[in-house]
Amino acid sequence: MNLYEHTIIARQDISPSQIKSLKEKYSKLIEENKGNLVQTQEWGLLNLSYLIKKNKKGNYIHFKIKGNGDLIKELEKNERIDKNLLRFVTIRVKKFDLKENYFGKDEIEEIKKEKKNR
Amino acid sequence: MKSRKNNSKKGKTSSFSKLSIFQPNKYKFKKSCPLSVKNAPKVDYKNIKLLKRYVSENGKILPSRITNVSQKKQRELSLSIKRARNLALI
Repeated sequence: MNLYEHTIIARQDISPSQIKSLKEKYSKLIEENKGNLVQTQEWGLLNLSYLIKKNKKGNYIHFKIKGNGDLIKELEKNERIDKNLLRFVTIRVKKFDLKENYFGKDEIEEIKKEKKNR
Repeated sequence: MKSRKNNSKKGKTSSFSKLSIFQPNKYKFKKSCPLSVKNAPKVDYKNIKLLKRYVSENGKILPSRITNVSQKKQRELSLSIKRARNLALI
């Protein structure tokens, strides 16, 4: 069993209900493949620093998964087909940092403020 | 005795004056790595605020000789910056 951090970026013009269904779809997939979903975070609509498939913004969803490598294979296979997604990134970590959320509401406001100051 | 003392003093002063610009100046300040100190923030690809400090305006990674980051931390930094780039965060 390994620990993975999995982030997906969905298209900008997607509705909140669709985001929910996306989240449910993939969390179901994880559980079907003997994975253990430790935590999910929704980072919300963030500005992309460069265009991806003509999108300026993206909806970020972050999963923390405990599972085997086969699970990640299956997940990424499904995500490649999904047209609502722009990108996915999987990173294996040694330890989960469950407390820290760099994309909470307060943090995002701070980032915006910094940009304005510049 | 007196002459000896004088000699030692002279030697010190002369070596100091000989320091050229090209020699590494040991008498100058030497900063320590800002990421290896106690209570230093963890290097993580999600921590954009921290990573942005080590990236130039064009998005290039700054060399450690400018930022004074230790070798080990610089490796971590460069990896996490590249990860953040993949996620279009930086």
